[in-house]
Amino acid sequence: MAFKFMEKLGFGDKNKIEILSPIEGVTCSLEEVNDPIFQQKILGDGIAIKPENGRVVAPVNGTIAVLFNTKHAISIISEDGVELLIHVGLDTVNLKGEHYKAHVSVGDMVKAGDLLLEFDIEGIQSKGYDLITPVIVCNTAKYSEVVPHIGNSVRALDKLITIKN
Amino acid sequence: MEGGKTMQELKYVIVDELGIHARPAGLLVKTTGKFSSQITIQKGNIKNDAKSIIGVMTIGAKKGDEITLTCEGTDELEASEAIQAFLTENL
Repeated sequence: MAFKFMEKLGFGDKNKIEILSPIEGVTCSLEEVNDPIFQQKILGDGIAIKPENGRVVAPVNGTIAVLFNTKHAISIISEDGVELLIHVGLDTVNLKGEHYKAHVSVGDMVKAGDLLLEFDIEGIQSKGYDLITPVIVCNTAKYSEVVPHIGNSVRALDKLITIKN
Repeated sequence: MEGGKTMQELKYVIVDELGIHARPAGLLVKTTGKFSSQITIQKGNIKNDAKSIIGVMTIGAKKGDEITLTCEGTDELEASEAIQAFLTENL
């Protein structure tokens, strides 16, 4: 049927929301993240990226909801209500903003691909921090399924997570 | 005290150097999520659902800030006690 065909192409399927990659790198499951808060999905389900580039872009069209003054993590609420957290590195709150630069502020409306943060990979690694970057759907409970696309090399704006209503 | 007829309110001043960042927000929501009561977290004029990770992070509580939590429902007393214990231990 024509309807099925359109659905296969990704048109008109209101039950699916695609979250794009905010960073270039290699994806892995949250179970591989060496921090129980992510491993145990206490902040929600999602995926992690081992970054190969120090740029974070918006993974969806949405609004910046949280940007800590330490700039190590940013939260964006998508147009369709998905609450995302991008946490650049583990325990990097302790760097207190060093090696991070923000290009947006809380309340800003952004389009997928807009530059949000820049971070200095070598600088952060030289201080002994793991730069693995969890991308979390904080309101996971609202959805029937959160499907991470793990084991891929991704560029910014490649498919990262598929959310089913 | 009769459950659900009153409201529990507690105030707490953050002493942790780093304030409520992602980890404590997650752990706080893990605590509040155990209870059926409606729970809110407030700092200044911002009042949010304390069972929402984004809600808790959005209030932007830093060292020295006073936060107010309210619990309303059948298990509000237990919720309030658990939250008080969590805050004292972690923040």
